[in-house]
Amino acid sequence: MKAKLVLENGDCYEGISIGSPGERIGEVVLNTAVVGYQEMMTDPANAGKILVLTYPLIGNYGVASKFNESRRCWLSALVIKEASRIYSNYQAEGSFKDFLKKEDVLTVSEVDTRTLAVDIRDNGEMLGIVSTENTGKEGLLKKIKAAANYKKDYIKDISVKKPAEIKSSSSGPDIAILDIGMLNSFIKQLKTLGCNLTLLPYDTPADDIKKSGADGLIISGGPENDVSLPKVSETVKSLLGKIPMLGISTGHEVIATALGAKLKKLGIGHHGVNYPAKSPDRLKGEITVQNHSFVVDGASVKGRKDITITSRNVNDGSIEGMESRSLKFISCQYYPASPGFDEVNEIYRRFLKTLSGVRHAKA
Amino acid sequence: MPKRKDIRRILIIGSGPIVIGQACEFDYSGSQACKALREEGYFTILVNSNPATIMTDPNMADVTYIEPLTVDAVTEIIKKEKPDAILPTLGGQTGLNLAYFLMKKGILKKYGVESIGADVSAISRAEDRELFKKAMQEIGIGVPNSGIARNVEEGMKIGLGIGFPLILRPAYTLGGSGGSIAYNKEELEAFLAKGLEISPVHQILVEQSVLGWKEIEFEVMRDCVDNVIMITSMENVDPMGVHTGDSIVVAPSQTLTAEEYVKFVNLSKKIIRKIDIRGGGANIQFAQNPDTGEIVIIEVNPRLSRSSALASKATGFPIARVATKLAVGLTLPEVLNEVTGITTSFFEPTVDYCVFKICRFTFEKFPGTKRILNTSMKAVGEAMSIGRNFREALQKGIRSTETRRFGFGSDGRDKFDDVSLKTPSEDMIAEIKERIRVPGDDRLFYIRYGLKMGLTNDEIYELSKIDRWFIDNLREIVEAEEEIKKHRNEKKDDEIRLPEELLLKAKKFGFSDIQLAFLLNSTENNVRKTRKKNNITPSYKLVDTCGGEFKAKRPYYYSTYETKDESKPSDKKKVLILGGGPNRIGQGIEFDYCCCHASYALKEEGVESIMINCNPETVSTDYDTSDKLYFEPLTVEDVMNIVDIEKPIGAIVQFGGQTPLNISGPLFAAGLNILGTSPDSIDIAEDRKRFQQMLKKLKLKQPENGTATSFDEAKVVAERISYPVVVRPSYVLGGRAMEIVYDEKGLADYMAKAVEASPERPILIDKFLEDAIEVDVDAIADGETCVIGGIMEHIEEAGIHSGDSAMVLPPHTLGKDIIETIKNNTYAMAMELKVKGLMNVQYAVKNNIVYILEVNPRASRTVPFVSKVIGVPLAKLATKIMLGLTLKELGFTKEKAINFVAVKESVFPFIRFPGVDAILGPEMKSTGEVMGIDATFGAAYAKSQIAAGQNLPVKGNVFISVKNQDKRNIIFVAKKLADLGFKIMATSGTAEALENSDIDVVVLPKLHEGRPNILDLIKDAKVSMIINTPSGKATKEDELKIRAHAILYNIPLITTVSGAQASVNGIENLIKKKTISVTSLQEYNKKIKNQK
Repeated sequence: MKAKLVLENGDCYEGISIGSPGERIGEVVLNTAVVGYQEMMTDPANAGKILVLTYPLIGNYGVASKFNESRRCWLSALVIKEASRIYSNYQAEGSFKDFLKKEDVLTVSEVDTRTLAVDIRDNGEMLGIVSTENTGKEGLLKKIKAAANYKKDYIKDISVKKPAEIKSSSSGPDIAILDIGMLNSFIKQLKTLGCNLTLLPYDTPADDIKKSGADGLIISGGPENDVSLPKVSETVKSLLGKIPMLGISTGHEVIATALGAKLKKLGIGHHGVNYPAKSPDRLKGEITVQNHSFVVDGASVKGRKDITITSRNVNDGSIEGMESRSLKFISCQYYPASPGFDEVNEIYRRFLKTLSGVRHAKA
Repeated sequence: MPKRKDIRRILIIGSGPIVIGQACEFDYSGSQACKALREEGYFTILVNSNPATIMTDPNMADVTYIEPLTVDAVTEIIKKEKPDAILPTLGGQTGLNLAYFLMKKGILKKYGVESIGADVSAISRAEDRELFKKAMQEIGIGVPNSGIARNVEEGMKIGLGIGFPLILRPAYTLGGSGGSIAYNKEELEAFLAKGLEISPVHQILVEQSVLGWKEIEFEVMRDCVDNVIMITSMENVDPMGVHTGDSIVVAPSQTLTAEEYVKFVNLSKKIIRKIDIRGGGANIQFAQNPDTGEIVIIEVNPRLSRSSALASKATGFPIARVATKLAVGLTLPEVLNEVTGITTSFFEPTVDYCVFKICRFTFEKFPGTKRILNTSMKAVGEAMSIGRNFREALQKGIRSTETRRFGFGSDGRDKFDDVSLKTPSEDMIAEIKERIRVPGDDRLFYIRYGLKMGLTNDEIYELSKIDRWFIDNLREIVEAEEEIKKHRNEKKDDEIRLPEELLLKAKKFGFSDIQLAFLLNSTENNVRKTRKKNNITPSYKLVDTCGGEFKAKRPYYYSTYETKDESKPSDKKKVLILGGGPNRIGQGIEFDYCCCHASYALKEEGVESIMINCNPETVSTDYDTSDKLYFEPLTVEDVMNIVDIEKPIGAIVQFGGQTPLNISGPLFAAGLNILGTSPDSIDIAEDRKRFQQMLKKLKLKQPENGTATSFDEAKVVAERISYPVVVRPSYVLGGRAMEIVYDEKGLADYMAKAVEASPERPILIDKFLEDAIEVDVDAIADGETCVIGGIMEHIEEAGIHSGDSAMVLPPHTLGKDIIETIKNNTYAMAMELKVKGLMNVQYAVKNNIVYILEVNPRASRTVPFVSKVIGVPLAKLATKIMLGLTLKELGFTKEKAINFVAVKESVFPFIRFPGVDAILGPEMKSTGEVMGIDATFGAAYAKSQIAAGQNLPVKGNVFISVKNQDKRNIIFVAKKLADLGFKIMATSGTAEALENSDIDVVVLPKLHEGRPNILDLIKDAKVSMIINTPSGKATKEDELKIRAHAILYNIPLITTVSGAQASVNGIENLIKKKTISVTSLQEYNKKIKNQK
């Protein structure tokens, strides 16, 4: 079956449908990582997006449930160059194509994703529509126009409905996670550190969090520009300075808005695994995984004595990390991904060190 | 961190001659290093013995030494130039070892030279097997389990403890010789006994076998503040067991999960930190069990390597340039990414294509050797191709190797046709399965036969352990081929009839027009016509380091079949340069040197330079050599596709060796303007009849000759001109299939097997001028003026391929009148052929008569050598002539007279091909060259021998055994050696001749007569040089063994009398001079005067 992607700017890309049929709208974003398709598809931060993978060969190593970053795939649609006919890896439990069916992902394959990527780079991230139906380009464009002002509303669905506990050890710190799209791989790292975790619904009142006696609070990553975020930001605002906090990616943006800072949209977001970030006054930095289209507007935090910019993107200078002793938070725009199998990103250790009280992390 | 100010003068070590395992990738890395250091304002001193390199061009470094890469020579350079630091990580294993020995001998300390890039302790941690193992264990990384055994008992204990299969490696044998795999107790016992005997130190490494595991490589870089980045992963399609230099490799890895990938990245970071490289790069090789995911580390190269060159070209990230900047203290965020022009080098490149590397082998040059790949590298070159999928990259890669294959089979050159594959015989099945199981240079094609025969992915996997993902991609190609073939009988005049969708699919799968023509029973031209009519033409995409995320300032291009072309052709005046493709014997770095010079010349003249090449090792495929680079196969189809969009004013085909010349006819016919000497003149030079007519007209002599297409014809010719004769196919490279035939039987044998060499062309037969002196001349002409660059006299007599001969510039024995004749002949032919550019002539001089053997109106192998000696960039001038300038305008009208001597010597790969006789003949066998340059012939020759690894002795025993006709001439040599204090050893025949001339000789028994014989003395290191001239056509068993042992134990071996005479000259010089004197190229160039 044929399928096509039409962009807001009228550009049309044709391909073959290899997933579910239908017609879906979403913001078109690129990801330049070579591996990790399953992880990207199940990352709640990609909810509602039309994800374009720039690496052309997808599905080579199949899928396995342990690679899921959340309970399901959240994409509006997936656009790729080629889906592997077979899969080959000892860990694989099934094929990529079966995964598309199971997860009901509208997927267009055999698209000139390189041209599409250059288009997005030059014209910015924009809305698009993927269709496996016979609708003409003009018809599809109309549908995009009609949806131009739609409100993104995914967090309600993504977040846990009631608190969920994940115990690791009796001696570890208790960490509450305000779940707007927490990733399994981050949970795994925190468990490695012996943390006892409680995933909280995004709309948990601040008082409940305060009362819970958690040693620290993590604001997870998740979809940006979502209708639920202002509410989360309000919650965070009332907790700032009262409980040690770690903001991850969208969680970092939430803390920024809670501080009164502004966000701005990047022409082309950071979506990939090769973004350099480092402290402005140091030469040593790190290569980070990122997935965001917004950043904290530097001008809106300029001159604030209570906030330190701990890290910036080496390519475009955008803010990658913030910290405040008085407000008791650290945050990162990038993903604190595991630097290796069974290893923990430095930022979690830093966060645990800021926790007050007698209990300390084992690691 | 800003760059270091405490160092100012930096010595860069090159990698020496091209050998198997060390090719032009180190010219690429060394050239980048020179540029990078000079950009930062450092004073650069370069040493490399290889004159064919771009890096030794006098304007690359501040001071350039073409001297042997030995501790002695480099010590002299250090004394003279007083460098503050030495950069040893860009010269391959040679550079690294040299730095290591300079350290061990205390030279670095004595002269206050610091090793930068990788310090000596880092080198030791990576190179010393025990230290390495310990370091890896300290960070919890598995190494293959192993132990060192000193006797069979110990070996059995270690082996049984590890479990089968086991790899056995005798210690200190060269090139991995004597290694074997034991699958059971009996084999282990047998191999241990054998291995212990071979090992000079009687030790053997017993190691866990990881045969069949996945082989994964990572390229890593680290700066002095501990920033670490991954450049790319690479996956070997051939699993463990085949040397990675011989393997088919893809980048990035295709079958690793994200989790595994991160695991490898993490290990790589730990390793580079543990080895502690503080400003440079490393290549890390892992093996992974495909069933369990278990990872062990195989090897770390703490330096630039062949793999890092490939990683560079695959991603666009200039590893050598960045590594050099890191070596002088800069950090990754401080080094600009020149490809994007806006980001820094502190990022990890990503790709949106699939890169494929495939090797070029030359087993055909070494008959008698098995075409089997193992842990000792055999490939002489490689090609890289890029596609949007694996199938496309693979098919482009195969046609890039120029082995006359135009894709994954179905090109009319398959061994088995479809009909026989449908109903294969038992023998066929057995053969095909065996060739899939045992890795060889053509295993891919046997997998194709296997697929066609009905083997499943699993069956092929079980035989080959090649990952099923790759096998299934190959299956997809075969299925597409079947689909296409169904339309074989639908024809329409001069077009093919294939549904447009299928034609497009075929092109997306990488099928060449030649394959389609074969499958559809049509012609390449008709396929092309149909394609163009249907607008099925390639679009060019970018290698931009970032998957399109940033706009690229200096990208390069590859073709694919997508919707949008990104090549953006300019409307400037532009010229195409066709490169030389993969290195091979007969065509290597010399031609890349010329292509680069063409590019530099175009730049100087303000003409846009467009390079087409597919060799990832070269300088010509570096991102900043030309204005535009197309990483493409050099076939008519691929070149014409580029011509169609770029519309150049013409193409330069005379610099890339035989590769571009072979396709220049069809390119010209397709409308491409060929710059320089006209195709008609090239035809005169190559067409026997027309060439003879020209010589007749000019009253010049050539050896008597004729052509033949059958044995009967050949017999008539040979009888007319009398034996011995030289026979060869027309239009070949490096003397491929060239032989000297002494009688009718030899001729019959040759004709029987020669048909394979070049079917469309007749066999050429020349009178062989025995004992003639051969002379090579490189000249340049503009149609009106001809200037000779250099006249080179061969050391070895006629009959030995000019590419294998040692050569002396200027000639050391030719008389003035002969030189005058040679000059005049050269001028006359250049004028007659209206040469515009370079011309090479080969002469033979016998009895004071000058014969013309061959004229090639193109760049020869010796152009860089001559250019460096005379200080004139001939290839650059030739390019400008092609653009219309004259020699007068270029200021080169007088020949250069040099008052020093330069000797070019060749190096050979015999050690890689056990069982092959190490003798020279009309078929070229050398892989590379060195130059010795000094005030006298003796000194220059000695240097050339040292540089080539022939360690001319100054004392000890010399074994002499020569054929009858050499016995008279060898007396002088032996006498001289005896006078110099050597003890002469010989077997009875030669001994008698020498004793008759009053030379003291120790007579050794022939091999079957008793022991200790010469082989025993070789093993016990009691012989310091062997002179052994082959006794004519039928080689004696004894001689073969002696030569093989000489190669194995690295004892200087001389196989010609003239070589022996020159060597004695060299030895005499070594004894006299004690220390080696070093002079830079820049100093030599100052000494040169214009000849009156």
